[in-house]
Amino acid sequence: MSKLTQRKSLDYIKKEYVRTRTMPGSWYLSSYKFKFNIAHHQPMLEKLKEKKLIANQCSGCNRVFFPPRLVCGQCLVKPDRWVDIRDTARVATYAIAYLKNAETGEVEEKPMVLVQHDGADTCSIAELAPGVNVKDTYIGMPIKAHWSETATGGLMDIEYYDPIEDDAKDVK
Amino acid sequence: MGRQVAIVSAGFSEHSSKRSDVNMPELVNEAIINCLKKVPSLGLKDIDAFVTGNMPAFEGANMPELWSTDWMGARNKPLMRVTTGGTTGGSVAIAGYYHVTAGLPGIDTVLAIAYEQQSQGDTSVGLASTAYGEISILNTLGIDYDSLSRILSAGAAIGVAAYQATNYMSKARITEEDLARVVVHNRRNAAKNWWAHLKMPDLTIEEVLDTPYVQYPLRYGMLCPASDGACAMLFTTEEKAKDMCDIPVYVNGVASVANESAVLGYDGSGSAQTDPSAQIGAMRSSELAYSQAGISFPRKEIDYAEVYAPFPNQELMWLEKLGLFEETTAPEMYKNGTTALDGDLPVNCSGGVNSTNAIGASAMERPAVAALQIMGKADNQVPKTVHTSIGHGWGGSLNLCTLMVMSDEQKRKWR
Repeated sequence: MSKLTQRKSLDYIKKEYVRTRTMPGSWYLSSYKFKFNIAHHQPMLEKLKEKKLIANQCSGCNRVFFPPRLVCGQCLVKPDRWVDIRDTARVATYAIAYLKNAETGEVEEKPMVLVQHDGADTCSIAELAPGVNVKDTYIGMPIKAHWSETATGGLMDIEYYDPIEDDAKDVK
Repeated sequence: MGRQVAIVSAGFSEHSSKRSDVNMPELVNEAIINCLKKVPSLGLKDIDAFVTGNMPAFEGANMPELWSTDWMGARNKPLMRVTTGGTTGGSVAIAGYYHVTAGLPGIDTVLAIAYEQQSQGDTSVGLASTAYGEISILNTLGIDYDSLSRILSAGAAIGVAAYQATNYMSKARITEEDLARVVVHNRRNAAKNWWAHLKMPDLTIEEVLDTPYVQYPLRYGMLCPASDGACAMLFTTEEKAKDMCDIPVYVNGVASVANESAVLGYDGSGSAQTDPSAQIGAMRSSELAYSQAGISFPRKEIDYAEVYAPFPNQELMWLEKLGLFEETTAPEMYKNGTTALDGDLPVNCSGGVNSTNAIGASAMERPAVAALQIMGKADNQVPKTVHTSIGHGWGGSLNLCTLMVMSDEQKRKWR
């Protein structure tokens, strides 16, 4: 058994309780319909087809939002200016999840990173390149978007992020 | 304008992972009886109003206050429910304070009750139901279901806390050993507390570090449990409080502040709070509550702190953000014993949320324990005299903070 799969619990002082009657029940939750306004995403999705990134900027506080945001929470105005941002980014924070693979039953390390694009003030969830050891990553690590070959106009056009050298041309 | 409010009593039910001997109303009743037993002069007819709260989605019972009205003794009396996620308990306590301070005719004594019986339902389903409405927009933006499920299945609370932990650890330059030290501090304190859940009197740092990772950098032994439990607090006016108990605890400042949610932001549009451990909401809430209570130097004036920390890195972070320690010095304070029971500033002597987490009740147990420490009636009573203490609550997606500042003197700055 691998070290990752064992669930070793710590001993604590337990107390046994007398059981009362228990009625098992299940609660069928009907399907829900969540509503979103996606009009403000359209210019970005259009630009993604050209492998370019744009973000919107609040005219009140000049913060740049990527992905675009409908309303700025600080100023309560609609961000109406569109600005270009780079496809280089920095790791804002990261964590590793240990999830069991449903088919093989093996525990896999699944890294999750938040990236902050150069020129943007917000961060978004992303993946690192498959070969990267997440334990070698650090906060502020420079990375660059790896585009898929055919862009379809969705956030998944950026397949993953490649780590780059700190003195790379893109950062300058 | 606004009456001075005092806490006269607080009560708890026994906490455990499965309270199979009671159902939800009986569990609530246990805490209320424990609370009222400490005030013998008070009868049920003297309580004028009730505030209650829990997270209904976690148990599968909606509107549980209707089910438990009789068990609370609230029949034919004003009853109000407050639900704000992780800070439910803190918000219920603040609502109890507002009821009394408003000065409505005939409402002097208010019982605030918060509870959770997590063994009845599925907490992760409840958490997912609160998050899915926001996350599902990512699907329409082209992120496939596999990546989406990774965000969800990593678990809502632990997922966001792991980001916080990586940021805090790189900022303060600490190792997992420092996190484990906080866990040992909490679990050993819990062993001296009759109602706590994870009582581990002989836990060592090595034992905690021997458990596997749930999500890097948090290990299985560092996580909070899921408990069943309830808590009750009694608020009243200052005149009545003097008749009811020897040392009434005056509430001098309250605050509940929300900041922009970290990690996902709203509608999945990313968050402008790029550092999850920055916690501007906690700083704002402490500024607000301390200014009401007339506290200028929190480190010198506060004698006892109860912070809401399900994960050890958060305990270190909150102590700094609430102004009790300088930035990045909290791990050092655990090393040199400042936060121990007989230390300079004892922290979480009840065992904290790290040892006992009945989600709806947790944020109320913090001010409740902090008040009992001032009264001298707490189970793991600190040896020094406590004059001023704070009870803190945290919830939402890393963003909502409640704070209650209490003292044995009426120091409130506004009249």
